[in-house]
Amino acid sequence: MTVPLLEIDDVTKQFGGLRAVSNANFTLETGKLHAIIGPNGAGKTTLFNLITGTLPTTSGHIRFLGDDITDEPVHKISQRGLARTLQIKSVFGGLTVRENLWIAARSRFGVFAPFMSWRSCQKSNERADAVCEELGLMAHADQLAANLSYGDVALLEIGLALATQPKLLLLDEPICGMGPAETEKTVAKIQDLAKRIDIIIIEHDIEVVFNIADEITVMANGGVLAKGTPDEIAKDPDVRTAYLGDDDDDA
Amino acid sequence: MTVRTINRFGTLVLVVFTLTAPWVLPVFVDAFWVDIYSEILIWSLLAASVNLLFGYVGLLSFGQALYFGMGMYGVAIGIAKLGFGFWGGFGFGVVLATAMAAVAGVLAVRLTWHYFAIITVVFSLIFYFLALSWKPLTGGDDGLPFSMPPLISVGDFELTLTDPDVQYFFIVLMVGACYAIMGRIISSPLGRAFVTVRENDLRASLIGLNVYMIRLSAFIVSGFIAGVAGALFALFGRYASANFMFYHVSGEAVVWAIIGGVGTLFGPIVGTSLLIVLREELSHVWAHYPILVGIVVILTVIFAPKGIGGIWAALVHRFAGANTGKGGDA
Amino acid sequence: MELTIALALNGIVWGLIIALIALGLSIIFGLLDIINIAHGDFFMVGTVLAWFVAETTGNYWLAFLIVPIIGFALGALIEYTVIQPIKNAAALSIVATFGLAIILQESVRATFGATPERMLPPIHDTIPMFGIEYEVYRLFAAAASIAAIGAFFLFLHRSKLGTWMRAVRFDPETATAMGIPARRIYMITFALGFSMASLGGVVAAPITTVYFEAGVDILPFCFMAVIIGGLGNLGGTVAAAVLLAFFEGIITSFTDPTFARIGSLCLMSLVLMIRPHGIFAGATR
Repeated sequence: MTVPLLEIDDVTKQFGGLRAVSNANFTLETGKLHAIIGPNGAGKTTLFNLITGTLPTTSGHIRFLGDDITDEPVHKISQRGLARTLQIKSVFGGLTVRENLWIAARSRFGVFAPFMSWRSCQKSNERADAVCEELGLMAHADQLAANLSYGDVALLEIGLALATQPKLLLLDEPICGMGPAETEKTVAKIQDLAKRIDIIIIEHDIEVVFNIADEITVMANGGVLAKGTPDEIAKDPDVRTAYLGDDDDDA
Repeated sequence: MTVRTINRFGTLVLVVFTLTAPWVLPVFVDAFWVDIYSEILIWSLLAASVNLLFGYVGLLSFGQALYFGMGMYGVAIGIAKLGFGFWGGFGFGVVLATAMAAVAGVLAVRLTWHYFAIITVVFSLIFYFLALSWKPLTGGDDGLPFSMPPLISVGDFELTLTDPDVQYFFIVLMVGACYAIMGRIISSPLGRAFVTVRENDLRASLIGLNVYMIRLSAFIVSGFIAGVAGALFALFGRYASANFMFYHVSGEAVVWAIIGGVGTLFGPIVGTSLLIVLREELSHVWAHYPILVGIVVILTVIFAPKGIGGIWAALVHRFAGANTGKGGDA
Repeated sequence: MELTIALALNGIVWGLIIALIALGLSIIFGLLDIINIAHGDFFMVGTVLAWFVAETTGNYWLAFLIVPIIGFALGALIEYTVIQPIKNAAALSIVATFGLAIILQESVRATFGATPERMLPPIHDTIPMFGIEYEVYRLFAAAASIAAIGAFFLFLHRSKLGTWMRAVRFDPETATAMGIPARRIYMITFALGFSMASLGGVVAAPITTVYFEAGVDILPFCFMAVIIGGLGNLGGTVAAAVLLAFFEGIITSFTDPTFARIGSLCLMSLVLMIRPHGIFAGATR
């Protein structure tokens, strides 16, 4: 029995009177493309925030490949191989695309090297260029990230995560706000990545989710409503009444 | 003609000027301008320490005078009270300043934005008052004069700072070394980490950067630079005084850094030169020239927040025809 | 013992005056998100104008009327010409206010000279209190400060303008959406801050030295009151100002005044590190 990818063990997050995540309990295995879906306010992004250490848990434990990472510092969790994109795209606007990817790549080799020239860092240069190439951003490599189109920023967002050589990639609404062509391109890319990296994706577009996910976890009101393959979820009566019934809930 | 070539040429001009100033300046203006330029170089280091923290990491420290003061008092107390020689005193000052920056930084760097600025002032005020009241050790606001031990004393051969040429080139050497160190750090992975943290600290931590340690390293390096400035100042003037630890001194350094252009390596020299030259020229003509300085400061913040360095960079980019807008470099 | 009582009472009086000034600093910090390094100089301008009015008209009480109005006008002017334009460079606001401080200090020096002046208090009597003879003017100063502070809180909580200010402080976007003229509120806030500081200057002028650097001495104390009391916690600011000044007064009677100051600064550092929202719980931010 292999070590589970991610264990959410009775995790709760309370903000004053509001329980954003409420005794969430589930385990995800490696080797699958996971999706987390649920209505707005279900606690999906909060859960991501708890996993990456951006928010402290109120109670419960989170384990990544067997290690307890609950409330560890954000950068330490990233160094374990857990990478994440943000729902509201957030890159390093004043740096070029290449510089963005470079620093993400370099993070794996340590930055406290004050006397070497950054341009001479072979491995980081190579990795940055490789990610740039893979995501089709080479044409914009020397452009400031702040000047990129929305679609390219979204790609760079994924690029930053990729450059850190993650074992697990958390994608928070990666195709949010994209047009149909860009969506298709990005979804294809995600499927491609899923062949070599474990991915958990939060998404509102049910069609996309059912098309690409191997396993879907449905959240509602801070807890887990159901978990299973797309077929199982589609047939689940609880899910239908709570969520799938409303067709116009798509982002 | 690329951006880099132009900047390299500018640096060359600056270096050549600095190395030949003791002979060039007396010919074109007056010998006392060599002393002024020495002062400018020293003070520019203080501005550079502000610039390193603000321009590259995004932390505005209003209390660098504290580390300047530590460097200054380290030299003065080391030589006058502890019997150190030249190098012992100099080293003591720099080490003291760096240690102070490490201690203060551990606390200060946990805060950001306004609270960071405020606590840097508070720390500097605490030590200002200590220096002021601990008269037996520091001389209070009367100051602590001392006599200059020689740099090197081998048999009959002696080099001492009382010789103007020795003094000038010693300062140039030390200041140059500091700029070289800063330049190195800025173009290193650590320097990249600095600007990354400045751009987006949350995202930086999410890609695995230890934002706290990165900020702390910048703070300590800045303290070191300010300490060297203070040590050089003490050696230049042969005395130390608590007045130079007051927040007004920190504020002036911030002004020089902003006007010179934050986020550029030589911005501090430009800003410090401009304002000190202005002070020298205007103070004879109009006793209340600080009003003009204040107006320039406000106008700079409103209309040219990137300072002269920013204007220079914009012009250079236009001239070199580079319109992809490279970001992040010195 | 007598010295201690006198200094303790002086501390309370000064604490109240500083509370008045610090409230101005707090609303500027709270609403406009600006560290106003020039705030001490607003106080200084108040003392200088009060001295000037007293010298030229022979009537000190006139200053109570004229100076706060001039202060308000100056504050509005500064807000319009300096503060508004720098809204887009928020981190540099501290630099701009530093420039402003230089301008104010040097302008006063240019107009009135660098020699410190002392004023005679308009009330010369003393009154026996707690076993010592205490100056009546200082009691008046305390009363005037209390009255001004009280009026300020009344204004803030009972008037329409005051309510608008609190709304903008709490949530500027919603306030604007509700039709509150945020632009004008910012100007009024800054002007009010200047006015309160200058009123503090009028009250303080007879019991302190009037000179162009007076603002530099008082600024750290105002910041201490605001931080230790808690940003956004106006009542806390008043309490902190009075308590700090009271304790500094007592400590000064035993040792060097700078040690009292160092102690307060260390307390301020502690607060910043541990409870940046201030000692008095219930701060809104």
